Amino acid sequence: MKSTPLAYGFLLVGLICVVAAVLYAIGALQLFTSGPGNHYKHAILLGVLAVASFIAFNFARPRTV
Amino acid sequence: MGLLQGASELFPVSSLGHAVLVPSLLHWRFKQSDPSFLPFLVLLHIGTATALLILYRDQWVAIIRGFFTAAIRGRMDNDTERLAMLLLVGTIPAAILGVLLESRIKTLFASPYEAAGFLVVNGVLMLGFESLRRRAERRAALAAGSRTEQEAHFASAERISFLAAAIVGACQALAFLPGISRSGVTIGGGLLAGLRHEEAARFSFLLATPVILGAGIVEVPSLFSSGVPIAEYLAAAVLSGIAAYASARFLLRYFRSGRLDPYGWYCIAAGLLSLALLTLKA
Repeated sequence: MKSTPLAYGFLLVGLICVVAAVLYAIGALQLFTSGPGNHYKHAILLGVLAVASFIAFNFARPRTV
Repeated sequence: MGLLQGASELFPVSSLGHAVLVPSLLHWRFKQSDPSFLPFLVLLHIGTATALLILYRDQWVAIIRGFFTAAIRGRMDNDTERLAMLLLVGTIPAAILGVLLESRIKTLFASPYEAAGFLVVNGVLMLGFESLRRRAERRAALAAGSRTEQEAHFASAERISFLAAAIVGACQALAFLPGISRSGVTIGGGLLAGLRHEEAARFSFLLATPVILGAGIVEVPSLFSSGVPIAEYLAAAVLSGIAAYASARFLLRYFRSGRLDPYGWYCIAAGLLSLALLTLKA
């Protein structure tokens, strides 16, 4: 069984991950980090999660065809 | 420590809780607040994940192939591809929470009292999952049947819904709390989603592997930079893997007809006993 709210939840999560990854990479976001600076580890992980979320969105959404 | 972690990781009794409690109770010279403690535990977890990869090697080859095939094609054509996508959906919630809460989680390792308390909570959760499962069996008029007949009524991992997979995956985040068992909450979640016990355990073990390996990739480099005895730690990881492999084989056989109850009662008893011993020691 597929779920529209779940699918769009993944789409939203993916978009948030992209924005957060950019903000972590440029050092504008320090939330949940050990200190100030550029947090490339967070950025890369969130980038991977964004891709995973977009794939999950594609497969979790109900299809009409 | 490696044997303890490997043996307790896949049992629904919280390896992390035991890893925090046992050294405190037995006066081992581990400092849970030490910055290398979490990476060391993660290294032990990689031993466990390697054991799971070996145990499910054929399935993982098919799942990875199925994942890329389905992702490129844009649709799922068989059960393996569906399982690959269910595992992806189940992994995302725990991975996000792990990335965001990593630095805060480390502060929780300082207190064995919290680990003992959460171990009791874990026990109550296990009993609750089984209670709800028995209710489902009664609703389906299976209470009078044999355990094999009861289990046959429920589904395989590939039939779980995407929403249920996401919820089961999110439950993994609870296991960041020392004392709450990752395999316990995911097996319990799988039971609530209508899986057979053995299938819930298989889904739990498959779901664990990418999360544990991902945590390892993030944490292990910090272990190598902190001046710890790497050879000793690697030996512990190997022991952890051997113990985990034996545990997984045992559990898959056990869950053909067994339930979570014994582990629930064990967690409650161990948690309460640990709290009493820690209080007396203080």
